[in-house]
Amino acid sequence: MGFSVGFVAGFVGVLALCHAANSTTQYKGLLKITEDDFSGPPFNVVVELIVGLVLCTWAAITVPGIFLSIHPHSDDNR
Amino acid sequence: MAGHGESEKKSSDAVNDLQTFRAENLQSNMKVIYYSRTFLSIIGGVIAGILGFTGLTGFVFYFLMMAITSVALIAKAKFSIHTYFDSWNRVLLDGFLGGLMSFVLFWTFAYDIVHIF
Repeated sequence: MGFSVGFVAGFVGVLALCHAANSTTQYKGLLKITEDDFSGPPFNVVVELIVGLVLCTWAAITVPGIFLSIHPHSDDNR
Repeated sequence: MAGHGESEKKSSDAVNDLQTFRAENLQSNMKVIYYSRTFLSIIGGVIAGILGFTGLTGFVFYFLMMAITSVALIAKAKFSIHTYFDSWNRVLLDGFLGGLMSFVLFWTFAYDIVHIF
């Protein structure tokens, strides 16, 4: 199928998720030094996760293929 | 007219379209739904692990992810479900529990990587 736009979007979304995971790990290391509790990842990580989710959702909808009509007489050139 | 690759379930009745439909297209559509749901379950699991959800919160997040997936699939079908599927249940419920297994697997995996190691 080649490198369609949806495929690239999914790849970038997964990269965003990995980067967010890395940032959260570093944030937790920082919390361990200052001995605070982990109440949630920092705001920019949450934004990055949402962006990654949107990209991956778009990739999940466009990459697997299109819907084909199940009516027997409505397709073109069938 | 039998040699054109159509697979009809019952004898042709041109008036009632629900009686005959293309089974291979329906199967192809079901496969598309399955791939989409599985991929988004995995992504949802990774996000739940990163955010540090535990217990019931994680499962609530899974239901939220599946709701988003259902809405996205219905939008992909341009809101006319009966053109592509024979019942609403296929779009809304199919693949729900299978995705749950993948979700829990990647949720545990991501949570361990980010929060424990």
